[in-house]
Amino acid sequence: MILDIQTWVHVAAFVGAGLSIGLGATGAAVGEGYTAAKANFAISRKPEMAGDIFKTMLVGQAVAESASIFALVIAMILLFTEFSADSCIIIPVLLASGLCMGFGAIGSGIGAGYPAGAACEGMARQPAMSGRLTTNMLIGSAVCQTTSIYALVTSLILIYLDFSVRPLSPTWAAVMGAGFASGIGAIGSGIGEGLVAESACAGIARQPSTAAPVTNMMLLGQAVTETTAIYGLLVSFIMMFKVFPASDSIASSMALLGAGLCMGIGALGPGIGEGITARGAVKWIARNESSSASTIRVMLVGQAVSESTGIYALVISLVLIFVI
Amino acid sequence: METIRQTQKKYASIAIFVAITAGLVLILAGLRPFGKGFILGTLFSIINFILIGETIPMKIGSTKKKSVWISLGSIYFRYIILAVPLFLAIKMEDFNLIAVVAGIFSVQLIILVDNLFIQSKQR
Repeated sequence: MILDIQTWVHVAAFVGAGLSIGLGATGAAVGEGYTAAKANFAISRKPEMAGDIFKTMLVGQAVAESASIFALVIAMILLFTEFSADSCIIIPVLLASGLCMGFGAIGSGIGAGYPAGAACEGMARQPAMSGRLTTNMLIGSAVCQTTSIYALVTSLILIYLDFSVRPLSPTWAAVMGAGFASGIGAIGSGIGEGLVAESACAGIARQPSTAAPVTNMMLLGQAVTETTAIYGLLVSFIMMFKVFPASDSIASSMALLGAGLCMGIGALGPGIGEGITARGAVKWIARNESSSASTIRVMLVGQAVSESTGIYALVISLVLIFVI
Repeated sequence: METIRQTQKKYASIAIFVAITAGLVLILAGLRPFGKGFILGTLFSIINFILIGETIPMKIGSTKKKSVWISLGSIYFRYIILAVPLFLAIKMEDFNLIAVVAGIFSVQLIILVDNLFIQSKQR
């Protein structure tokens, strides 16, 4: 068996494609399954609303799986594009691209399932609000997809940017780190945003008169929840576009790989935590609109504190990139 | 199931109309691979949307765990179908890859536009 660069390029492309669609489809499946489980509950509670609940489930699932279609697109590009084997750097690039998209689609897939499930449940509780619930669900689900779009953008840049002119070491670690930072970093925010949107749908069904402030609060909560995914994107952009000098030392490569992992894993907790904070705020505004000002203040303070661990990860990542 | 059929019919017919109109405009503007790619992507987007609806009755009445497994199987099956236009676009110059990807998301975009701009105004 001859293992030349071209063979390894194919291996990297195939493994990257498998990781992309394998991980990417898992998130959407969990989200869709969650929606279906909630639809079960809603139909058993209000069988005469089955048609509308089915419709909401269908529309919700169609939007929820967008992230995994991004993963499919990257997988197909990796599988069927002829990549040049001029440099070994293409091997980690293709692997990083698949990993990034696969991880990046998990959070959005799971997150988008939450509002769809809550909308189905809400329809059984408040049939008159079905239109408003569907709209809120779609807004919430669409915002959940943005983190997977960050991963998609990173994956496409990795595939189409020419890294062959750069030194193999430590560029291989920079591209892998970029994939980890953007991909893993998107998971927490995707799930967190879904939790906020779920609470908004439940709140509208519980108290229809609060629909407008609840939707606004949902968008505010989701915007803050998304910031850690943006940190991941920022770190991955720095690592993709900064040209690192050639180095024979393993330390500089490990520093860059560590930077990507640090930011990616460091963004997981804050993304989910901020989502839980905003979920609580949205829930209580729906129950007591008059306390909006205090609730928003508490939510933002809570999210800021929760975010601080993500900022620590960002700082350490930047130190690893620029100082070490 | 009638509501699902109605929803599928509504979004599929709008998507076909948009795809043919946009495709013709692009072809007449000399962007033939873009027009053909967009129409191809939209056709498969509609097939995918119809298949999502067909699997819904299987998910209903199942436990949470079973729903997740049915969803996973359904996703992999539908993605094999969605892979066809992407494969054609990558391998053939007749279809532009970006236009095919845009077409694949056309049903989702139509759902969003319909609910966020048209139906919300009517309410």
